[in-house]
Amino acid sequence: MKQFVIIGNSAAGIAAAESIRTKDRESKIIIISDEDYPSYCRCLISYYLAAEIKEEKIIYRDEAFYQDNNIELLLNKKVQRVDPKKSRLILDEKTTIGYDALVIATGASPKFPTLPGIKKKNVTGFRTIRDAKAISGLIPVTHSACVLGGGLIGLKSAYALNKRKVDVKVIVKSKQVLSQMIDENASKMVQRRLEENGIEVMFGLEVSEIIGNGDIKAVKLDSGKAIGCSTVIVAKGVVPNIELIKEAGININKGVIVDENMQTNIPNIYACGDVCESYDLTLARPAINALWPVAVEQGKFAGLNLCGEKAVYEGSLGMNSIDFFGLPVVSLGLYKTNNQPALEEMVTKDENTNLYKKLMIKDNRLVGVVMVGDIKNSGVFLRLIREKTDISPIKGLLLQETFSYADVIDLVKEKERFYV
Amino acid sequence: MKKLYYDVEKCLGCRSCEIACAIAHSQSQELSKAIREEVLSLPRKKIFVSKGKNFPISCRNCQDPKCVDACMAKALRYDKERGIVLHDESRCVGCWMCVMVCPYGAIRPNLKTRLPLRCDKCKDKDSPACVAACPTGAIIWQEEEIALSQTDKK
Repeated sequence: MKQFVIIGNSAAGIAAAESIRTKDRESKIIIISDEDYPSYCRCLISYYLAAEIKEEKIIYRDEAFYQDNNIELLLNKKVQRVDPKKSRLILDEKTTIGYDALVIATGASPKFPTLPGIKKKNVTGFRTIRDAKAISGLIPVTHSACVLGGGLIGLKSAYALNKRKVDVKVIVKSKQVLSQMIDENASKMVQRRLEENGIEVMFGLEVSEIIGNGDIKAVKLDSGKAIGCSTVIVAKGVVPNIELIKEAGININKGVIVDENMQTNIPNIYACGDVCESYDLTLARPAINALWPVAVEQGKFAGLNLCGEKAVYEGSLGMNSIDFFGLPVVSLGLYKTNNQPALEEMVTKDENTNLYKKLMIKDNRLVGVVMVGDIKNSGVFLRLIREKTDISPIKGLLLQETFSYADVIDLVKEKERFYV
Repeated sequence: MKKLYYDVEKCLGCRSCEIACAIAHSQSQELSKAIREEVLSLPRKKIFVSKGKNFPISCRNCQDPKCVDACMAKALRYDKERGIVLHDESRCVGCWMCVMVCPYGAIRPNLKTRLPLRCDKCKDKDSPACVAACPTGAIIWQEEEIALSQTDKK
């Protein structure tokens, strides 16, 4: 009987455990988490903070799951370092755990900029249920809040606070919201929807200091202006949690580098999820694509390969889907033509109805999609991107209202079995 | 396990299946009342035309469902025994990850209810409503093994 250890109890770690169990019912599986909470739907913390879902609905895998799958779960335990030479982990209290194979699914943590006041109470990231609860606990005494960062996490936390009737301002360094996900046209529509619902977004600004003795009074901007608030959420991106392997001889760039089997340079160590850097299909180089569906996918492959399968993960791509106040937004692959003149763009846009679709094409292959307002068929587009389908026969149809999967049946790889 | 198959040669594109589907997922189960319901029931399948042929597009309840993997709220789950992807509305937050990853474009977002529209094979009925509604027999409800053996012969 072997012992498999998974560090991380979220999407990637659990998917790895589940896929191990499809091949191996016998070996011991240990999952270690530094959180003190059972596995939960991390992406739902904003909905929880918004009071749109109850706490019990946030649980991702309950106790029975660990029992049924014979998984030992160690909560509230932080792995200090990995010792690949002895195939063991060193935990906080000097205890060690040996492994036959290890899965690093440690995820990522919010980046905190270095500035005066950043360590003050009521300055928090927005990553864990603990963060959400801490912010929620402040709401009765919070009249106004500032969110630093206009990415997905920043906007989702602003949305949640707005729903809880907190006056919220989002301070963004760049000139648009969601600058890592969509282009300016799309971001204007999102921004307008946020502003219509009372979320103010300020652009081209950086916070230089968080002011207040004890309690927060305001954030000071690099423009010299100060904005009064009592709570600050820092949403300036995340960094992979790699401290525990920094000295372990595992190849790292920004994240842990893995091959097409989700394997690191050390044969019995795998990585998956937000901590890992795997091949990106649209960038054609390794990249971190930190999102739930990718983490699940990678976890599955890590688990299979750890069991000796030769399952090849073709790669991920940057993608996301989000809905702000009833305005759906999907982004797949590339989203800006920046410095890539070889890209061809196809666009439909109607600002009055908040409708925007942009397709980006390179050598007759779809490489990027941005959709606002109408996101149907986004899955078909994703498939065309993934399969690098030559779209020349259907190029004229892609942005038609009548476009559907039916138009691509003859072009996709899988043989159709449902239409006889 | 029974699945829905479609004979594209027989489909006239009359949309009887769409109407039957919407009624089957309404509160009242009757057309005249269903169209007056506060939350209008929408069809989970849609007919699309390509190269002169009509294709009913509908969730296939895949055995290795990408939507289930992508669901960040654990609202979707695959019921192996019944061969259905089940959706728990009380957990769904309307993030549209399922829409984004469906390789068939068969999940549509209902922006009013913030719930995805997808075929549940009329799980609480004897057979899916679209099957009986189809006037030409273009919608086939049969065991997967039979269907596979037939397509393999072709």
